[in-house]
Amino acid sequence: MDDSDEALMARVARGDEVAYRLLSRRHVPAMLGLARRVLGNAADAEDVAQEAMLRVWTHAPRWQPLAQFRTWLTRVVVNLCLDRKRRASWVALEAAGEIVDPAPGATEQAEHNERDRLVAGAIAGLPARQRTAIVLTYGDGMSNAQVAEVLDTTVSAVETLLVRAKQNLRRALDDAIDED
Amino acid sequence: MTNDKFPEFLDGALERITQAPPADNAAVARVLKRLAPPLPRQKIALRRLPAVLLDWQFAPAWPRVAALAGCAALGFYVGIAGLDRRLDSLDARFAVASQSDVGAIVFEAESLTGARP
Repeated sequence: MDDSDEALMARVARGDEVAYRLLSRRHVPAMLGLARRVLGNAADAEDVAQEAMLRVWTHAPRWQPLAQFRTWLTRVVVNLCLDRKRRASWVALEAAGEIVDPAPGATEQAEHNERDRLVAGAIAGLPARQRTAIVLTYGDGMSNAQVAEVLDTTVSAVETLLVRAKQNLRRALDDAIDED
Repeated sequence: MTNDKFPEFLDGALERITQAPPADNAAVARVLKRLAPPLPRQKIALRRLPAVLLDWQFAPAWPRVAALAGCAALGFYVGIAGLDRRLDSLDARFAVASQSDVGAIVFEAESLTGARP
């Protein structure tokens, strides 16, 4: 049996709950990770992942396979994240730094962690769309064309978003990095 | 840090920081549990309406629907164009003839003698 995303969606459109469960198990972990990186908040990320997967169920009969299912789902998750606009609660848990090991090279590691923490803080201060473009490009390895499809914009607009994001990051980091 | 090294540093840092975290199995399980049935009603696409009606054994007979729609369109056209006014004027001619009150002449008793026809 064809168990591609598109085939499963066709079954979901006919009300097949088994196909929906398969699709959920396949995509919830990745969508949860994406929402967590965009929102920086684990609880909100769970809500967004749940809402996105519910939309998969309710909108399945209307879904047209014009784009890849994964791209469409990413777009739903990103839109839900942007709707939340909770910039203040963004905390990059994975970049928060670890306990310094007093082994050789521990000083370099601590410095490294400190810099990553600063960058994570700077990312937290970015506007939501710039932050999303950064996460999709660097975190998920998407091309500019794919990011444009997810954000429902043009490739040149994505390039502009990335350039502005880096300019903002540089501005935010400049003083801190110079102190190092 | 020099200006030359900054873009390289930033790219490296962004790749490290924005990497997908390891899957949080507990969170995934919570979300999947919340997605368990009963699920909400699906939104039905219009293009699937005939199939849904067939499921309910309420399939539309398209020729009859088309005939009904044609009759409605024809009636609307006749009403708008005023094609039925000629028939109204025909009715008016009959109405004038009836105003002579023929019934009274034929059936009423004669005023002097009281004789009935």
